[in-house]
Amino acid sequence: MTDGSPSARGTPRTIGLAVTAYVVAVTAVGLGLTAVALRVEGLVIGPTLVVLVLLAGLTWWSTPIVVGDRTRLTFSSIVLLSAMALLGPAGAGLVGIVMGPLQRGRVPLRARVFNTGQSATLGVVGGAAYLVAGGSRQAADLDGALEIIRGVGIPILVADVVQIGLNLLLLAGIVRLSQGVPMRVQIGRLARTTGWAYIGYGVVAFLLVVLWQPAGVGPAAAALVLAPLLVARWAYKQYAEEVGAQHRALEVLVAAVEAKAPHLVGHSARVAELSGWMAEHLGFGPAAVSDTRRAGMLHDLGQTTLPTAVVRGSGPAHETALDIYPGRGAALLRELTFLSGSLPPIARHRAAVRSDGGAGPEDLPARIVGVADEFDLMTEVGTPGGDVLPPGEAIARLRESGEAVAELVPALQSALARRLVVGGER
Amino acid sequence: MRSSSSGRLRWDLLVSALGALVVLYAVATGWQDLGTTLVTHERTIAVLVGTIVAGELARLRMPSGREIAPLASASALAACFLGPIEGEPAFDVAAGVVVLLVAFALAVAAVVRRVRGGAVGLGLAVANLLGVAVAAELARETGTPGSSLWDLQATRNASPAMVALVMVLVAALGMGVEVVVASASRSQRQGSPWTAALRDELEEAAPLTFAVITSGPMIALMAPAFGLASIPAALFPLAITYMAVFRFARNRSTYRQTIATLSLLTEHGGYTPIAHAERVAATSVRIGRVLALSERDLRELEYAALLHDLGQISLRQPIPGGATVLAAPSDQRDIAAEGARIIRHAEGLDTVAEYVEGQTTPYRLVRELGEPVPLPSRILKVANAYDDLTGGSSDPDRVAAAIERIHLGLGYEYDPEIVDALVKVTSDVASGRVAEREGASR
Repeated sequence: MTDGSPSARGTPRTIGLAVTAYVVAVTAVGLGLTAVALRVEGLVIGPTLVVLVLLAGLTWWSTPIVVGDRTRLTFSSIVLLSAMALLGPAGAGLVGIVMGPLQRGRVPLRARVFNTGQSATLGVVGGAAYLVAGGSRQAADLDGALEIIRGVGIPILVADVVQIGLNLLLLAGIVRLSQGVPMRVQIGRLARTTGWAYIGYGVVAFLLVVLWQPAGVGPAAAALVLAPLLVARWAYKQYAEEVGAQHRALEVLVAAVEAKAPHLVGHSARVAELSGWMAEHLGFGPAAVSDTRRAGMLHDLGQTTLPTAVVRGSGPAHETALDIYPGRGAALLRELTFLSGSLPPIARHRAAVRSDGGAGPEDLPARIVGVADEFDLMTEVGTPGGDVLPPGEAIARLRESGEAVAELVPALQSALARRLVVGGER
Repeated sequence: MRSSSSGRLRWDLLVSALGALVVLYAVATGWQDLGTTLVTHERTIAVLVGTIVAGELARLRMPSGREIAPLASASALAACFLGPIEGEPAFDVAAGVVVLLVAFALAVAAVVRRVRGGAVGLGLAVANLLGVAVAAELARETGTPGSSLWDLQATRNASPAMVALVMVLVAALGMGVEVVVASASRSQRQGSPWTAALRDELEEAAPLTFAVITSGPMIALMAPAFGLASIPAALFPLAITYMAVFRFARNRSTYRQTIATLSLLTEHGGYTPIAHAERVAATSVRIGRVLALSERDLRELEYAALLHDLGQISLRQPIPGGATVLAAPSDQRDIAAEGARIIRHAEGLDTVAEYVEGQTTPYRLVRELGEPVPLPSRILKVANAYDDLTGGSSDPDRVAAAIERIHLGLGYEYDPEIVDALVKVTSDVASGRVAEREGASR
């Protein structure tokens, strides 16, 4: 389950109250549904229940692995889906109640309570969906691939889809209340990042149930099915760590620029920050924002290929050299596919702010980086003589440097305001 | 140098003989049943062979260059254990038949790979077959008549959980045999100590092997209820694992590419010759492998080699030809220290920075004053000198001249043990390389 921790946005008290009310309502529904299911269905207390509750407890240990913005693997859905088929709605509700509050790390109490209500609701409703779709209560008696697919496979798939839909709805509800993100936007975002993985969990749960009951292996089935997934989890964990390491390795590129040009220390980080915020202000998507940010960070890389004296000096050689370095920077990074979105703005960040007219929308990221660069050069780095302009004057100059630049001044101002609030790179 | 290649030839012969022996044994024990088996179990055999071939063609290339085929291994193990199958006659064949079947599938896959221009990899195939033979023999033929693992599963005379556990153990044994033989084969080919090859094999392949030894039994245990569809279906969790490892391996190579980009900075700036860093990295890694460094150390050595000249970036004037071996010792130290300083800006590259820093210390200081210079730094020193002196050429005269020049500094400037390894690596293309293909890069 994705963590639905409510975060305060601007914290008017009404928002807090609405979120609390929502959490209480979801929890009440979850617990109530489980109680009703227990009443109607009853529950067989046996090894199956014990093992599944234990497994639900063990999911505490396996926090979902998230790489980038994608959840790669979580065990809780598999356990919950298996419980729907093996135990029915009441048992699945109980498993959900055990699983909900157990999350490693610092999770606010309100989120834990919400997760409990949410997974109990999912368990009961999913269990009911399994039965409605013709799911077998006596899966052990099934024989043959077709019979098993009809009696277990399709019902689990139906339960899975119902579970995904309900989960998205509940999560989008809380995000809508706490952060004001429209439900439809949030549901789309969640469905894109997690949808397919959840279908995969359905298939794994199906295998677990088949091995457990029709094949008669019993609880040992869980060990057999989950062992490969533990390895997958391990691999994704390594992967996530290396993605982090890779981004840190880009810091070395910045360090190389700063070793070459000591007067630029801190410049790349500041330009990166401004570029990212300007892109956000202009409504870029998350991937485009991070491409633009990265371009801001690496925009000076090409300078490392110039003679040291030229980079550190001034005069005509310095000025002409400044026209070639953006292209060289992009050429250096050409092989790195994960940076491909950042290459055009790196290559064009100087040209784009100089050319007036004909600057199409594809040049927007380049202009963003160019404006952020110009502003930082004027206000922080200064001229070779050491003159630094006050921000107001720098902005006035940018306003006068043609339409391509002036157009972006509001975005720059919004980024600067944000820097004042959060205290950014300085 | 001649001895290593003739040793390899002997080893190849031994491996071929071993493979032939396994097949011969399989023919002896399985031949008389083969005809009827093929007719009775045609569908089962077709599905098994099909999955093994498909799995072999979907090999996974690990970060070190080692290739593994987890889906094929799991299917081959399934063939060892398969008993009752819903909708099909019970798969009651002799162990020899299982071996022949797997051998056939491996041969088909090898032919397809060959046609596509890949390597056949005889040593690895033999190792694979040997592992299957051990597992099949243990599962089907071991024990008093009627009490083999196979019988216990077929007659349901033991608890399924117990059967599952024993199956996993047998699978582990089979895979263990495979790993031992494969690493022996690899150590012969790349000229590294066997223990190091075994360690690498275990370290890198262990997690996937763990997933494989549970997936094979899972297929066999599911088949009595789910029929032949169990073979593809029960491979699904392993396929998820496969994807995860694939992503991880691909990302590792992007990471390496990021580091390699840093080596381009000095090249594009005209400070160092084109491809110098890449060549030094390749030589360093091969020397490191011959000297039994672990995969982790090798990786950090490779990164250090790619970055060893980074410090030149802030020089006011490039060194002629970028060859640090000809620069004054104090300049060399300054360059290395500046490089290390830049590298330390990234968290997690501290060891790499340390290796870069240590590359200038003469071996004399290690020997006489006990200065702690890490082995990778000493390797980097030798590999860098070699490339500076040959200029990247593999012309025999230049190579000989470079080696002779390095020999002059033996014990004083360079670690003799590493120079020996350099000689081995430069005189034999396969030494220190993991990939099956000749000259393939990491």
